[in-house]
Amino acid sequence: MIMKTYTKTLQISALTLSVALLAACSGPQVRYGDAKAVETVNANYGSTDLQMIAEAMTRSLLQSKAISGSKDAPIVTLADVKNKTSEYIDTRVITDKIRTQLMKSGQVRFAVSVTEMQNQTEELKRQNQSGLYKNSTIAKTGNMQGAQYRIEGSIASIVKNTKDVKDVYYVFNLNLINNESGLLEWADEKEIRKTATR
Amino acid sequence: MSLMKNTLLAFAGVSLLVLAGCATKPPAKEQAIVGQVPADPPKNPVISAETLKSASQSIAVTDIYFKKEGKNLVFIEETRNKTNNNITSTIAPRTIEVDADKANASAVTGGPNSSQFPVKFTNLADPKSTAPGTAPIVTPVDTQASSNTSDAETQSSKKSGYESKMEYGELRYLANPIRGLLIKSGYKVVQAKATVAMPNQGDEYFDIVKRIKVGDFGDADYVLYGVLAEVSNTDNVSDIPGTKSTSHQMTLEVTVDFNIVDTKTSQIVASFVASGEGKDVQIDGRDTGYKPSSAKLMKLASLDLAEDVRKNLAAQNFITNNPGSAGYERNLKRRVDDDASTLKVYK
Repeated sequence: MIMKTYTKTLQISALTLSVALLAACSGPQVRYGDAKAVETVNANYGSTDLQMIAEAMTRSLLQSKAISGSKDAPIVTLADVKNKTSEYIDTRVITDKIRTQLMKSGQVRFAVSVTEMQNQTEELKRQNQSGLYKNSTIAKTGNMQGAQYRIEGSIASIVKNTKDVKDVYYVFNLNLINNESGLLEWADEKEIRKTATR
Repeated sequence: MSLMKNTLLAFAGVSLLVLAGCATKPPAKEQAIVGQVPADPPKNPVISAETLKSASQSIAVTDIYFKKEGKNLVFIEETRNKTNNNITSTIAPRTIEVDADKANASAVTGGPNSSQFPVKFTNLADPKSTAPGTAPIVTPVDTQASSNTSDAETQSSKKSGYESKMEYGELRYLANPIRGLLIKSGYKVVQAKATVAMPNQGDEYFDIVKRIKVGDFGDADYVLYGVLAEVSNTDNVSDIPGTKSTSHQMTLEVTVDFNIVDTKTSQIVASFVASGEGKDVQIDGRDTGYKPSSAKLMKLASLDLAEDVRKNLAAQNFITNNPGSAGYERNLKRRVDDDASTLKVYK
């Protein structure tokens, strides 16, 4: 009887161990989600905010007189978007997203921005000053096109916390400035309010 | 009664017709050209694209005149030996050519070049300053160099000063692209005789009317002549924002004052100032010790100058805005119409 009970216990233990081992070998579960789906993990700046800002700003900018009223697609460059929030936000991602959507519209052309100038000058130097390239094919120094407008802006936030509630208010500002005249040709803002409760 | 009624009606009808006639607007004049804005009449009454089209005009283009001020620094040492009644004199002049600016900044003004040219400057060309007894010219006798014995006396004196001189000439490199554009525009370009500056040349060097009368420009209808206003060389280095590199820019800029004179009436038919820029840009050029090519800068400057001349000539209706079309055809026709017995090589 004791022997029988012992054997049964051993069998159950072996089975449990096997199930545990199998479960361990299968690893974490991965699944693809909808990149455009609303993300509400917490009240911090997230992917939905990025998408909302980019979409709103692009739509508004394309309807502006400076862009829609221009005969040729104006040349624009991206300047800084200042992060005035207490969070770490890669503002370059916002402007890059806006740039991609504007480029897709075909109504705007972009000149290299300050952050891309290192690669641009290195390429020009390599082609013009190394003496390795056929003269007729060289991208010559002195022919870069200056941008008519620059896009710059800022993102700021107001955060309020209680024991159970966290309220975050974001405001994203974007400006289109005429480089020659210094005039502000277009400006718009996008406000976002997020409230998290426990 | 009925007659009166009819008469009244007839009057009323006539009045209405007259009123309707007055109210009618006069018919609008039919526009000669529909869908086209008539061109503005040429601003220049002397030459227009039309006259150029009807007759092939000829023009002579001089090389670019220049006038350069220079100063010669003159240093004269005279040693005079007197033996009894015999006086012998040895004069050893030394001339150093200096820029006018350097000379001006020298001992005359006590400027920064005082140590480089430690002499008292006087304009030796000025008769007043060289007149006998003028203090600054003749320095007192050099006591170290003079000796006085019973039968011989040696006296040494030193003179120093500057001589102003004006240099006149023609720059031979800048005018060819301008000749090219005039050929493209349809003008027959005539070779002008070169002018050689005479000794002690004055501003009459620029007297173009005198040269026209002498016949320096053949049978040209017009003469385009330019006088160099300024040449400047710049060498600047600036940071390129957003990079670790610098931009080394070497620039040659020329500014020329142009006039076009009608050879028959001596009337100035176009007048403007044009400038040309030749630029060589090297990224990190200062670090690599890059030396720009003067020939390349000169070529770029002359081409740019010709482009500015073209804009100015077009603005003053001396050439059409589109050189190369009608003008080219006219030149081609002229070549075809030339006497076949003469050998001509066209490039």
